[in-house]
Amino acid sequence: MMLASLISAIFTQSLTFLPLALGISISYSLLRATDMTLDGSFVLGAAVFARLVTLGISPVIAGLCALIAGSLAGVMVSFIQRGGRVDPLLAGVLATFILTSGNLALMGRPNINLLTQHTLVSTAFAQSNLAGWSLVALYSLSFCLISCLLVRSRFGLMLRALGDNPALLKRLGTPVETYRLLGFALTNSLAAVSGILTAQTVGYADVGMGFGMTLTGIGAIILGQQILRAMLKRTTLRVAAEFSACVIGVLLYFFAMNGLLRCDINPVYLKMILGIILIIFLRSAVNPNQKRAQS
Amino acid sequence: MTPTLLDIHSVSLTFPGVERPILSNITYAVQTGDFVIVLGSNGSGKSSLLKLIDQRYQPSSGKINLDGKLLTSYRDKSFHCAVKTLTQNYHESLFTSLTVLENYLLIRQQYEPNLLAIKTQHESEFLQTYLSQFNTNLSSKLNQIVDQLSGGEKQALALALTVLYPPRILLLDEHTSALDPKSAEQLMSMTQQITEKYHITCILTTHDLAIAEQYGNRILALRNGKIHHRIENDKKQDFNQENLLAACY
Repeated sequence: MMLASLISAIFTQSLTFLPLALGISISYSLLRATDMTLDGSFVLGAAVFARLVTLGISPVIAGLCALIAGSLAGVMVSFIQRGGRVDPLLAGVLATFILTSGNLALMGRPNINLLTQHTLVSTAFAQSNLAGWSLVALYSLSFCLISCLLVRSRFGLMLRALGDNPALLKRLGTPVETYRLLGFALTNSLAAVSGILTAQTVGYADVGMGFGMTLTGIGAIILGQQILRAMLKRTTLRVAAEFSACVIGVLLYFFAMNGLLRCDINPVYLKMILGIILIIFLRSAVNPNQKRAQS
Repeated sequence: MTPTLLDIHSVSLTFPGVERPILSNITYAVQTGDFVIVLGSNGSGKSSLLKLIDQRYQPSSGKINLDGKLLTSYRDKSFHCAVKTLTQNYHESLFTSLTVLENYLLIRQQYEPNLLAIKTQHESEFLQTYLSQFNTNLSSKLNQIVDQLSGGEKQALALALTVLYPPRILLLDEHTSALDPKSAEQLMSMTQQITEKYHITCILTTHDLAIAEQYGNRILALRNGKIHHRIENDKKQDFNQENLLAACY
């Protein structure tokens, strides 16, 4: 019974986190940029959705608006760092800084309760938990699938080329800033999707709910990548493997988190312990060749 | 007489805050079909000269004409089609985390914007045929990630893709210097094969006097940013390593 509840917790939390993790994977592994804006876009998605739903707007329209708001956050960060004038990491931090105020202003208060509201999944959850989570899974996996298809298309090839060698891509006559903007719009809208789904499943939107999400996601993705590299005995991963690594990393992260919580660990120390576990995993996952090269 | 393709006229290059000019009063004309070898010790200005020709640097004074027109009067795209550069650093010419085929597709889409919408099967066959003309194993490695190729293969791929749409002028900045002697020899013979087949004018910088002797038809030696010595095609008897060493260093 306890095992079933553990597995259920891992899968349900992973489902809402997966679009965000995929967004982080696209920005971190493909675009090679650590976009800290995703913390803010995650909350922005939840904030816009919750605010509009409480104003009586249809959940579908609220969801679409939240998605667009997320992509606009990506456009903003792309403009901040346009032409390499502001360091990408700093641009993300600045954008999140701006979004903290923006989200609070949008919500009008630090927390919006959605438990009594009609949302995209409320009817399904009213029938049964299984129906509710199945619908959440449908939404989450649909967005992930669309993103995967995009990344495997010509657009995705451009994003990967941009992350690899922007100078060469520019010399080839490609409008690199446009692709950077579209890439960030995609990753931030995925973060917003996670925010929308999380707000609906936990029953509220909170202005602080995105804190540390990007770093957690990066940690989970690196963990998944290292494990997959060791399993496949490869130093580089293709697109499909990158996404698989993302799923493995997210599942493992939530396994560790839920496992610790069930061991009665004080939640105050949770992130500290998770961070230490992540460090141990990452250090042990470095392959022997890398170790030799580093020494 | 062969028409002048590239005319470098009284060109100097200085950097702000640096007292000594990087290049000083360089005048040199390159004819179509030339294979010019630029020699000189480190810091003599060889790479800077190539960067001036491919417009990464702008001259402090003087002018450079391509086909009688100032370099700066060319539109970006047409200039980059006419003048292409390959350096010892393949990272500048390749997307190393992508496959050989993806690198090829990205370069082709510059010329054919709708290309990536087409099925890649046909493109894959085309690339295989294209690469098989060179003495490399690249044609069997289309789906391999570039980072996993050997150093020689990466440089050979970079060269093959650079001339996929042959430029008028190919600038090679010590492109063999990071390779072992065998790979360097293979790459040089591929370079010669390509320049002859596609009638590409080539300007190559190197420290390797054997390469200068074997492949060049004109030699330009730089010292401290100035032209120190030049050997023209009609004095082929001067093309031996002993003379070159004395003349250039």
